[in-house]
Amino acid sequence: MDFNDLMPLLSFWIGQIGDLGLDLLWRFIHIVVSLWHIVSGIFEAILSNAISLGLIQKYSAIDIEKLRCLAVVVDIEVARDVSKVIDLLQWLKTIGVKQVGLFDSQGLLKKSKDMILEMVPGSMLLQETGEKDISPDRKGIIDIEFISSSDNKEAVVKAANILLEKHLKSNNHPEKDEEGDNVFTESHLNEALRVVGENVRVPDLMLVYGPVRSHLGFPAWRLRYTEIVHMGSLKYMRYGSLLKAIHKFTGVRQNYGV
Amino acid sequence: MVSLFSVVFTGLALILIPGLFISWRLSVPISFKNVLGFIKLITSRHDDEEERNEKRDEGTYVNVGEEGTTSGLVRELMPRHVAVIMDGNRRWAERGGLLTLQGHEAGAKRLLEFADLCFKLGIETVSAFAFSTENWGRQKVEVNCLMFLFERYLSSKLQYFKREEIRVSVIGNLEKIPESLLRTIKELKESTKSYKKKHLILAIDYSGRFDILQACKNLMKKSQQGLISEEDVDETLFEGELVTKCAEFPSPDLLIRTSGEQRISNFFLWQLAYTELFFSPVLWPDFNEDKLLEALVSYQCRERRFGRRL
Repeated sequence: MDFNDLMPLLSFWIGQIGDLGLDLLWRFIHIVVSLWHIVSGIFEAILSNAISLGLIQKYSAIDIEKLRCLAVVVDIEVARDVSKVIDLLQWLKTIGVKQVGLFDSQGLLKKSKDMILEMVPGSMLLQETGEKDISPDRKGIIDIEFISSSDNKEAVVKAANILLEKHLKSNNHPEKDEEGDNVFTESHLNEALRVVGENVRVPDLMLVYGPVRSHLGFPAWRLRYTEIVHMGSLKYMRYGSLLKAIHKFTGVRQNYGV
Repeated sequence: MVSLFSVVFTGLALILIPGLFISWRLSVPISFKNVLGFIKLITSRHDDEEERNEKRDEGTYVNVGEEGTTSGLVRELMPRHVAVIMDGNRRWAERGGLLTLQGHEAGAKRLLEFADLCFKLGIETVSAFAFSTENWGRQKVEVNCLMFLFERYLSSKLQYFKREEIRVSVIGNLEKIPESLLRTIKELKESTKSYKKKHLILAIDYSGRFDILQACKNLMKKSQQGLISEEDVDETLFEGELVTKCAEFPSPDLLIRTSGEQRISNFFLWQLAYTELFFSPVLWPDFNEDKLLEALVSYQCRERRFGRRL
């Protein structure tokens, strides 16, 4: 066998060894990344448990007054497991949250609202649709609002129809308001939404439980400056993670675009 | 077992160390992404591995950049409309000891690079929140500089948009912006309105609430003209009156917000119902190709159900 015959065979084997080497390198990287995820998951779990046990000082005292209204968005699959939602509400009440808007797109939680209110001691249905003052003598009470997709676009369309009707029926110099500037303002739409039965309060913080990082159709009109935090699956929720998210929110400083 | 591992690691070291040395000597940049892409390309040639076959059967891998390295993205799962809130220009400038205007200039440059890359990846529509209604509350000097920057950039890039066949739309209130900028916007819109495949939407003096209110007013006008009745007004008709009606895909599939803030700040309130939200801690002028790919990979890994059970 001369050198010319040997070259292709040699190239072939070098190629094979190279491919094998790169394959091994890829798998090695996979192992490293998987180990990294496992380690960081363990670290998160330890941290969460430490927070839950009150071992970390900074999470022991949270300025909960800054969180006047909290929204919780729950994925439709998870919304079927009401027990998890009840646990979450009980945790929120323990932390001192006064008002919670519970949202799932299909309204499953709305259908279970009686059971949820019964199972969460000190909970009340949020009846008022406007701004609500939290007076000190309501300590230990948590107001719960149940929201679904019908409170989003459908509600805005209904409110728009009310304004439209109001404008068309107006007898006060309609020619001066051809552009609708006196009828179609933010405060007018707020009022029309209240007439339709909607709460217009803007949540300070939104916690999203589910596989997707999306608010899943939460009432758009209310989301202007809401902090949005994705918490992962409700199935694996942890008290420590909840406390950490709320604590982080209390440290956020918004400039509102200015 | 121990001896097997030691053989494997020795083999890996023999490949990696000379490779790194050679690349250093030749000044060939090796980023982790390039190495991963190259390895995936080689290993994907093996047909006997079920896992790699499954990945390849899911669609076509997307090539990025001049080297044609695969990015791990699947073309069929690419979002059709990506929106971005370009936050962090001022902090970036402050961090670098630069003027605020320089930060905004870097941000404008980054936007064009971002849009260019998105279009290359097959994303048809890119929206950018350039100036919000609330931004009028900033110092007059900064606002005037921003208006001047918009005018300068848009007019200087007109030929580029024509050459690349990018349709440019500007949405927002536009009543308070300078006349000269308004003329530039009008010229740009007219010159590029025939292009269909790539659409860049700039939101200037935009507010999500204003958008909804404008839609109400538009419906009111149509009702006054007898074009529609009150009973006709539904979600579809309402959506047709929002400023994003100029886009083929008005609702973004992915929203990226930079600089670590986790809110949508009155941007596309109606349109973002089922949009994947990606919050990046990186400041906007630093949001490069790698960061965009990271956002897109995150998007492609998510299972979006649009509120329904599948």
